[in-house]
Amino acid sequence: MTTVIETRDLVRRFGEGETMVTALDHVSVTIEEGEFTAIIGPSGSGKTTLLQLIGGLDEPSEGDVFLSGTNIAHMSGTELSDFRRDHIGFIFQSYNLIPVLSAEENIEYIMLLQGISEKNRKDRVKEMLALVGLEGLGDRRPAQLSGGQQQRVAVARAMASKPDIILADEPTANLDSATGIALLDVMRELNKQMNMTFVFSTHDQKIMDRADRLIHLEDGRIHLDERRTP
Amino acid sequence: MLTLKLAFRNILRQRRRSLLTALSMTGGYMLFVFSMSLLEGSWSNVVDIFTLDQTGHVQIHKDDYAKRPKIHKTIRDRAAVERVLESHDEVTGWAPRVYSAALAYGGDKTSPAQVFGIDPALEPSVTRILQKVTEGEYLDAAPNADGYFKAMIGRGLARTLHLGIGDEIVLISSGADGSIANDIFIVTGIVGNATSFDRLGVYLPITVAQEFLSTGADVHEYALLAKDKHDNENLAVDLQGLLPELKVSPWQEIEATFYRTMQSDKQGNHFTMGLIVFIVFIGVLNTVLMSVLERTREFGVLKSIGSRPFQLIRLIFLETIMLAGISVAVGFVLILPVVIWFTEVGLQLDMAVDMGGVVFDTMKGEMSTYVFFMPMGFMLLTAALISIPPGLRAARILPRVALGSH
Repeated sequence: MTTVIETRDLVRRFGEGETMVTALDHVSVTIEEGEFTAIIGPSGSGKTTLLQLIGGLDEPSEGDVFLSGTNIAHMSGTELSDFRRDHIGFIFQSYNLIPVLSAEENIEYIMLLQGISEKNRKDRVKEMLALVGLEGLGDRRPAQLSGGQQQRVAVARAMASKPDIILADEPTANLDSATGIALLDVMRELNKQMNMTFVFSTHDQKIMDRADRLIHLEDGRIHLDERRTP
Repeated sequence: MLTLKLAFRNILRQRRRSLLTALSMTGGYMLFVFSMSLLEGSWSNVVDIFTLDQTGHVQIHKDDYAKRPKIHKTIRDRAAVERVLESHDEVTGWAPRVYSAALAYGGDKTSPAQVFGIDPALEPSVTRILQKVTEGEYLDAAPNADGYFKAMIGRGLARTLHLGIGDEIVLISSGADGSIANDIFIVTGIVGNATSFDRLGVYLPITVAQEFLSTGADVHEYALLAKDKHDNENLAVDLQGLLPELKVSPWQEIEATFYRTMQSDKQGNHFTMGLIVFIVFIGVLNTVLMSVLERTREFGVLKSIGSRPFQLIRLIFLETIMLAGISVAVGFVLILPVVIWFTEVGLQLDMAVDMGGVVFDTMKGEMSTYVFFMPMGFMLLTAALISIPPGLRAARILPRVALGSH
């Protein structure tokens, strides 16, 4: 197994002096390629903070984050942008698609940033839409899609750049139960088919049920790291 | 292409706001072009007045005659000069002249006078001398039946000396050879009005003036018109190369004080228009900043998925330039017929202005690439500059903070 994510003594503090809060307190964790991992815990336990640090969206107060062997903890803004573009796919709770772009264009945009040729982009968009079951809906704008469909587009967008890992922050929180299950099945299938590494931050029992690893966070520390068979 | 599409669709997001912003830019551009057209047209009119009244577009002299006129500073090799002027494609008309100060007598009255020796045939190819004859008739070089040569005099001189058509005028001056020049001429025409530059002028046929002033066949000046009046400075440079022994000057040198005044006025107008455009663009800046603030979360997403800060600056730049470009294009289409009308027809003035006998009763604009494209370039450049602060703001957005915003 190849290690794709490794955090070493990761600390993230917010605020200063008496108002200082330690969101993550010396968290060290290793995630292997192809794992379907859920980071769980009560609100304020540090799930989203950990996900953001792994995704290079935030800078740790202390410690290191290695993604595919590269320490991203102290990269500059442009280096991080490039690293995120080429190595990390994001799925957000509220989809966060660009409203003025169609589903196809939302998926295509990240490949444009990667400098992929137009023909290859178009081919990959079709492939991604088919993978998430949205053939024929590519020309619709986000507002013309249901929540579940939008989140599928977000999954396709995250996959389009062929990242090493996909980080998903509460991806099913805004979806009804049936839609959430359907979306999770899509992601689980992609995980199995393509050996894609997924890391979730979630409260959702449906995700926990499908995860093959549960990392329990409490007060910014790893309370339990549980490997299981879904 | 996708980035352009994204930029264009972002403009259309808040259509009403974009429309209002575009309208203010369109209005600013139209105002700028209209003001430039009128200003350039007015100054062009004024320049025409004095260049076609006397100065011409380019003048040729011996040494520094234009600054320090002396009767002996004459152009001798006229054939060489005239060969150059005749064969030059950019010269549409030329005329030789001699000048001298004189004392004029009419009956028992005297007055200082300025003698202009002109070629009656060639002078109208450079100036509006024919139109300026307000009484009597235009000069010719032949003597009258009594053997007296003819003269046209300025309206001021005619009043001072109480002279009319057919009267005698006596001129006394000094010849180029040091002799006393004096002769009697018959007034056959009165030119201009009491405010003309030549109100105290006496126009003589050039051959007569040369004989009167003992200059031989020499002349003091050649005045000429350029095919393209806006290119007269280049023509002067070209002619100077062909006539290295002489001094060739564009009207901008001959009328240096006026030229500086005109340039100052134009700069003042440019500054005022620049200020108006700046005020317009404060509104544009507000719009673009608002647009960036509203899309904080979206910029956070774009950064999360790998957009570089520079790419966000470029996106804002494209949006602003597109909006400005569309506004200016619309403004161009709207103002074009107005400028054409002002250039071709013009606005009839309530009170006509008499400029030395030539009546100007219409305010006209000017249509040129400069009038349209200078404001266009200025607007687009300002739009580009205005896009920088919002672009930097978008570029500095922290994804963690932006994704937490709603």
